[in-house]
Amino acid sequence: MNRRPKTIVLVLHYIFLVIMTLFSLYPIWFVILASGRVGQRLYTLDLLGMFLPTSFDFNNFQIMLSGTPHPFLSWMRNSAFVAGFTTIACLLIATSAAFAFSRFRFYGRQAGLVLLLAIQAFPGVLSLVPVAQLLTAFGLYANLWGLVLAYVVGSLVFTTWLLKGYFDTIPIEIEEAAMIDGAGPIQSFLLIGLPMAKPALAVTALLAFMGGWGEFVFASVLIPAPNVKRTLMVGMYSIANNQSVPWGLFAAGAVMTIIPVMVVYIYFQRYLIGGLTLGGVKG
Amino acid sequence: MIAWSGRKKALMILAFVGPTLLGILLFNIYPITYNIFISFTNRNQYHPNPDCSNFLTNIIEPTCWPMFEESSGVSTPYTFQSPLFANYIDLMGKLFTQSGLLALFKIAISFVPLIAAGRLNKRYDRQLTRPLSATAVWILGLAASILLAWLLNANGAFATLQADSDFFIVVFRTFLFVLITVPINYIFGLALALVLNTDHIKGRTFFRTVMIIPWAASTMFIIMSLVWQFFFRDVGVINQLLRVVGINGPTWLLNPTIAFGVILLVNLWFSFPFCFNVILGALQSIPVDQYEAAEMDGATYWQQLRNITLPLIRPAVVPAIVLSAIGAGGFQMFGTVWAITAGGPSRGAGAPGATELVMVYAYKQVFQFNAYAKAGAFAVIIFIFLFIMTLYSLRITRITRGAYE
Repeated sequence: MNRRPKTIVLVLHYIFLVIMTLFSLYPIWFVILASGRVGQRLYTLDLLGMFLPTSFDFNNFQIMLSGTPHPFLSWMRNSAFVAGFTTIACLLIATSAAFAFSRFRFYGRQAGLVLLLAIQAFPGVLSLVPVAQLLTAFGLYANLWGLVLAYVVGSLVFTTWLLKGYFDTIPIEIEEAAMIDGAGPIQSFLLIGLPMAKPALAVTALLAFMGGWGEFVFASVLIPAPNVKRTLMVGMYSIANNQSVPWGLFAAGAVMTIIPVMVVYIYFQRYLIGGLTLGGVKG
Repeated sequence: MIAWSGRKKALMILAFVGPTLLGILLFNIYPITYNIFISFTNRNQYHPNPDCSNFLTNIIEPTCWPMFEESSGVSTPYTFQSPLFANYIDLMGKLFTQSGLLALFKIAISFVPLIAAGRLNKRYDRQLTRPLSATAVWILGLAASILLAWLLNANGAFATLQADSDFFIVVFRTFLFVLITVPINYIFGLALALVLNTDHIKGRTFFRTVMIIPWAASTMFIIMSLVWQFFFRDVGVINQLLRVVGINGPTWLLNPTIAFGVILLVNLWFSFPFCFNVILGALQSIPVDQYEAAEMDGATYWQQLRNITLPLIRPAVVPAIVLSAIGAGGFQMFGTVWAITAGGPSRGAGAPGATELVMVYAYKQVFQFNAYAKAGAFAVIIFIFLFIMTLYSLRITRITRGAYE
C-alpha cells in the first residue's frame, strides 16, 4: 500500500477527488450564491453567475432578519428551544439508563437492550396520529413542550446505546475502589461515571441537538399553526412550498441555518467519528 | 459491583431506568398498540370518531379519556371490520388469489439461478482448485436467470401484480431503492476512503473536511432536498446549463425512471460522507505489517484489497450499513423523497407514484386520504418485517464482532 503508484493512477485519484469535491460542495455553494443575488430567482441567466459570485449583497439577509414577511428569528428561537431542551432531557435520562444497563446486573438486561432497539423499528411517520392524540389529551398539542417530549423519546434509544457502549469501555475498577471507600451507586454515577464519559456525552449532545434542530415530519404535524410557533425546518419548507417562491429569501434563510451547523461539525469532526464507532461497533 | 440486594436494588435500578421505560411506553409501545387496534376497525374519513361506549375503544382512544376537552363530534363512529382482517385483505389486493400467487411464484423462480450461483461459488471457495472462476459462475447464473424470466414471462407477471396490489408495488420499489442505494453509497465511501488513506495524496485534510459538509447538511435534509429539487426542475439549474450547450433537457421529475434516479443521486449526496467516515476509521485501524507481509509474498494491490482490507473492515462497516439500510437512509426513507417528488410522478388517480416508497405511501394514506385503518394495517405489516430485520441484523453484528482480537 505504501508503494508509490503509477502516475496515471495518481492522476485518476485526483480526478476522482476533484469530482467528489465538486459534488459535495456545489449545492451549498449554489445556495450561498443565490442568497446574495438581487431578486427572488434561484438561478441566473448569467452563466458565470452560477459558479462565481458576480454580485453579492446582504439585502435578503436583512429582510429575513427583520421578521416580515417571515418570522425567521422566531422560528430559529423555537428550534433552539426545542433542540436545547431535547438535548438536556435526553442527556439526563439516557445517561442514567445507559449507566444502569452497563453497570448493574439485573433480570432482563440483555433482552431489554435488544427490545429497545427492535421496538424502535416501528416507523415514526405511522406513530404520528396516536402521538398527536396522546399529546392532545395531555394538553400539549401545538405546544413546543409536546414536541420536546416526542423528540426526547425518539432519540432516547440511540443515545442509550451509544452511551452504554462508552460506559462499557470505562474500567470498572475505579468505581469498585470508590465503593470500598463507601460510595453508593448514585455517587459513583455522578462523581465517576459522568466525568469519565465526557467525550461520549459531547457527541451525544451534538447528535441529539442536531436531531431536534433538523427534524421535520413531527414538527410539521404536532405544531400546525400559528406561523410564529413553527420550527425552523417547517417554516423554511412553508416558504418553499408556495406557488411563487421567494428563492432569495429561502436561500438566505438556508445559509443562516446551515453554515453554523457546518462549522460545528467540522470542529467536532474527530470526536464525531470516534464517538460513533465506539458506540456503534462495540454495541 | 452491586453489593446490596432485594428491594433496595430494584428501586435503585428503577430510578435509573424508569424515565426511559416510561417514555418508551408512552411514545413507542402505545402508538404500536394503537395502530394494531385501529387496523382492525374501519376508521377513515367517513368514520373518524371513536365509539366510546365500546370497552376497548374507551381504553385506547385518548379522545374518550376524561381529561380530553373537545367533544368528539356527531358523525357515525368507527366500528370493527366485519371480517376482522378486512383491511389486511384489502391492502394485499389480489396478491393471495390464484393468479397473484402464480405471478409471485414466477418471479421468485426467476431468481433461483442467481442464488444457485452464489451457493456454487461458496462451495468452490472451499476447494483447492476451482473449475470455473467466480465471475464466470455469476455471469452464467445471471444469464440463466434472465433466460428463465423471459421463458416464464416474468415481465407480464410483474405487470399483473402491479395492477392488482398497491402493497406489492410499493414494497417492491422500496426494496429496489435499498438494493441500489446501499451498494452505491458503500462503493463511493470505500473508494474515497481508500484513496484518502494513502500517503501520496496532497491535501488529505482538506478533502476529508470537504466530505464532512454534506453530512452536516444532511441533518437539515428538508432544506437541502428542496435545493436539489430546484436543480432538476423544468427550468432548473441543469436544464439551464443544457440550454446553453443547445440541448433541450428532459423534465426530470416527471419521468418515472429519471425521478427515481434523481432520488438515488440525492440520497448518495446525503449518505456517502457517513459511509466514508466509518470506512476511513476502520481502515486506519488496520496494522501496516499485514500489507508488508503481503507485499513480501508478491500480492498485487487487488489481492491485498480482497484478502486483507475488505475482511478487516467488515466488523466495523457491516453494522453501520445494515442499520442504515433498515433505517431512515434506506427502507424508511421519507424526508428526501417527500421534498423532491412527494411520491410522484403519478401513474394515475389512486395508484402510488413512481417514487412512492413505503413511508411516503403510509404518510399519504394518513394525511391525504385519512385512511387511518388501512395505514394502520400497513404499519403493522411493515413493523413485523422491520422488527425481524432488526433482530437479525443484531445477530449479524454479534457474529462479526471480535475479528480484531
